[in-house]
Amino acid sequence: MSASPRDQVGAEIATPENVLLDATERVGKIRDGRFAVHLHLSRLKPQNRQEGNLRVAGRMLEPMVSAYHGQIFRLTNDDIVFMVLHPNPVDLRDHLHRLRGLFAKDPLTQDDSGDGADLFCTLYDLAFDYDIFLALVQECLKAAKIRLRAPPTPPEPKPLDATSLAMVLERLGMIDASPFVRRQSAISLGGANPVANAQPAVIFQEFFVSLADLQKAVAPDFNLQSNRWIFHHLSTTLDQRLLAAMQTLSLSAMPPSLHINLTLPSLSDPSFAAFEANRDQRIPLGVELRILDVLADSRAFSATRETLRAKGIKLVIDGLDESTLRFMDVGRTGADLYKLDWTPELAQPTRGDGLMNALKEIDPARLLLARCDSETAIAWGMNHGISQFQGRYVEAMLAATTMAVCEKARACSLAQCTQRHGVIIGPLRGECGNHLRLDTAPALSAPRSAPNRTTP
Amino acid sequence: MSIPPSIASKAIPSHSQPLPSTENLLLDYIHKLERHRHGRSAVRIRLSLLQPNNRRDHHVRAALSTFDNLVRRLKGQVFALSNSDIMVIFKDIALDEIQAALIKLRFLFDDDPALMHEAEEGREQFVEWFVVDRDYQSLLRLAQSLVNDDIERRTLDTRPGGTDSPAAPREKRRAPLTPVLLAKMQQALAGADLANMMRRQAICALVGQAPPQPLFYELFISITELQETLLPNVSLESSPWLFQLLTETLDHRVLALLNRHDDRSLSGDVSINLNVQTLLSPDFLTFDDGIKANQRGTIVIELQKVDIFADLNAFLFARDFARERGYRICIDGVTIDSLPFIERGRLGLDLLKLSWDPSLVGGTLPDGSPLADYVRKCGASRTILCRCDSENAISLGQSVGITLFQGRFVEQCLAADQHRLRGGIGRRRS
Repeated sequence: MSASPRDQVGAEIATPENVLLDATERVGKIRDGRFAVHLHLSRLKPQNRQEGNLRVAGRMLEPMVSAYHGQIFRLTNDDIVFMVLHPNPVDLRDHLHRLRGLFAKDPLTQDDSGDGADLFCTLYDLAFDYDIFLALVQECLKAAKIRLRAPPTPPEPKPLDATSLAMVLERLGMIDASPFVRRQSAISLGGANPVANAQPAVIFQEFFVSLADLQKAVAPDFNLQSNRWIFHHLSTTLDQRLLAAMQTLSLSAMPPSLHINLTLPSLSDPSFAAFEANRDQRIPLGVELRILDVLADSRAFSATRETLRAKGIKLVIDGLDESTLRFMDVGRTGADLYKLDWTPELAQPTRGDGLMNALKEIDPARLLLARCDSETAIAWGMNHGISQFQGRYVEAMLAATTMAVCEKARACSLAQCTQRHGVIIGPLRGECGNHLRLDTAPALSAPRSAPNRTTP
Repeated sequence: MSIPPSIASKAIPSHSQPLPSTENLLLDYIHKLERHRHGRSAVRIRLSLLQPNNRRDHHVRAALSTFDNLVRRLKGQVFALSNSDIMVIFKDIALDEIQAALIKLRFLFDDDPALMHEAEEGREQFVEWFVVDRDYQSLLRLAQSLVNDDIERRTLDTRPGGTDSPAAPREKRRAPLTPVLLAKMQQALAGADLANMMRRQAICALVGQAPPQPLFYELFISITELQETLLPNVSLESSPWLFQLLTETLDHRVLALLNRHDDRSLSGDVSINLNVQTLLSPDFLTFDDGIKANQRGTIVIELQKVDIFADLNAFLFARDFARERGYRICIDGVTIDSLPFIERGRLGLDLLKLSWDPSLVGGTLPDGSPLADYVRKCGASRTILCRCDSENAISLGQSVGITLFQGRFVEQCLAADQHRLRGGIGRRRS
């Protein structure tokens, strides 16, 4: 195939849909033996719909489309449509099967619409379905025109490159990060956690830098996380700023335990030693590292783990997801706590044995479900033996509990209380009339229902 | 008797530290010469006297290439010594050629103080001549002292602790790599032809005392040389994440190189180092277009462990695509310390590359479990021990069941074996 209608979008001569319509009308004269396939790639999750994935998808089909005298089109919404003449049905099915395999991680390739229709791709035998297909193409063209006519979206922040990184690092070096430090409480609902003695309670507070707010302040035009290697490099500087800010931390009541988010190299940096020397030694400390740090320098990690252990500092691995649990034996890191990030996909029935087996390898007392933004998350966690939780839902729950006992609560909304609890300094915190309540972990009551711990 | 073709010059070191045992090969060669002294001369070219900035790897390589013709026509043998000196032993009929080569070398380095003083003082320091027949004993003594010096230097160079980085050059208090320097480097690389920095290293099956069997050849850009050429005073290792970013730029230069129609590096079974994102890029698809379907099965794509785990979903997609096209995939950058976290089978990879490290000698993983068990589970024919720069590495590897090896020592074995096959005087490691 030679058509690359995508090129013409930029020139605004025609949308790929125009070219597709032309081609469809042309084949309308001789429909026998012609097939069209519509791949609904626009329905993929954004993370599976990256430019590289779509490029590869097109590439997998090109030789076949070309062999069957066809044409392939990438529509403005990223769907792919191709037409072929007298294809070998087995060959066609194989190609679609392989393509489906490539996107097997996306729910789209597993779901069906309930009526048995395939959500991933639709096949049209043009000898019979020509009119339906023509109508679809016309519909696509209409949608594309609307999309192109839509007011331009505000420009996205530019990706950070080596040159702009230098500028950002310079600005970062000069700012006080305190206004960007956020905290979140983790709770135990009892159950598997022996430390909490089966009583629900706040177990620690995690302190970290809010990237979104920091980005607005130091690099509004740039996306600090656009390139992972640049972001990792940037993180070491962020650590310095966080550690400096933590040294000025002044709360009316300290949390039962304090966790900070750092990178591995920072733990052997003088700034960490300074933070450690000056902190309130009565409050237990935990450091949270990413799993990639463990792999990047496993030897340094092992050494650091022993040093931390000797000092009684807890080691936490955060940012785990289904893939890291399935493809890596994270339990071997010997950490004190593992944080699994909640996503609604975890609860999908198609999520099978892989994740469950991986979860079984970790002592449930050392598991925490993070990023819980709904009651569903908590329920899923409890159903899978997890009893420690963190996230926006937990924050709201704690704020509600605080407000129930706060003498000044009548002046505030739940959202305000939640927001004020999240910061450590600044006007938001200033708005609260009861800092002692704001900083004191509220007493929690046992969850209404404690579902079975074991996995069904 | 005809002097066999060069051993040492074939294995020109791609790392900042030249082949550690060239001295041994030289000594060995001089021993064998004892019965063939007549009609031969030797010259020692003392690049070690030059200023450090005049004797970087590419200078040494340029100097060595002056003798290519001589070696090719079996008129002599060239040894690149660890101290940057070059020793050429040749048949007297090639004397004119040698003289011509020396003129070229002097011209190459004529702004170096060592050569300027030589001209002023009228004393020839830069080269040292030997008539083999007459000076055999002093030549032998020299070779012996070179071997001793080399051993001493290697002992001093042995640094404790390993590094997870892809290349470990000698650290000379270099400045760290900063974003500004990286940007400069990326700019310099944008249109650079890296053909002269491309190296090949064999991955060989080494079983018992049998001669090494090359399985495939890794094609890679010599990072040391790249660093020496572009930013000689900067340590690329200092910022692992920025280095990783640099490799993305390098990927595209390598693909550009391989996509060139006149390039023949791809003939035969090879492996190339790429990033996950590169596998999904237009450059890779162009590369893939140029590969014959039946050749893909012989191409191995090496992915760094941090790159794989930085975005497992992207990796899984790229892995499935690459395997679907017929490529084989190898995880690279695995160390004894990261080994426990990595299961080749679980990741759906074809091969695993473990870097040699002296701490492997214990034969156990950091958690105390036997390395042999790990190798058995990973697959003896799927585990490659790389960076083997000593016989120890091979012995340890073999003792835990590893059969595939790569590294400077393997290159030597291979060179020596090829030498032996040609009826030469090389020896298989004893």
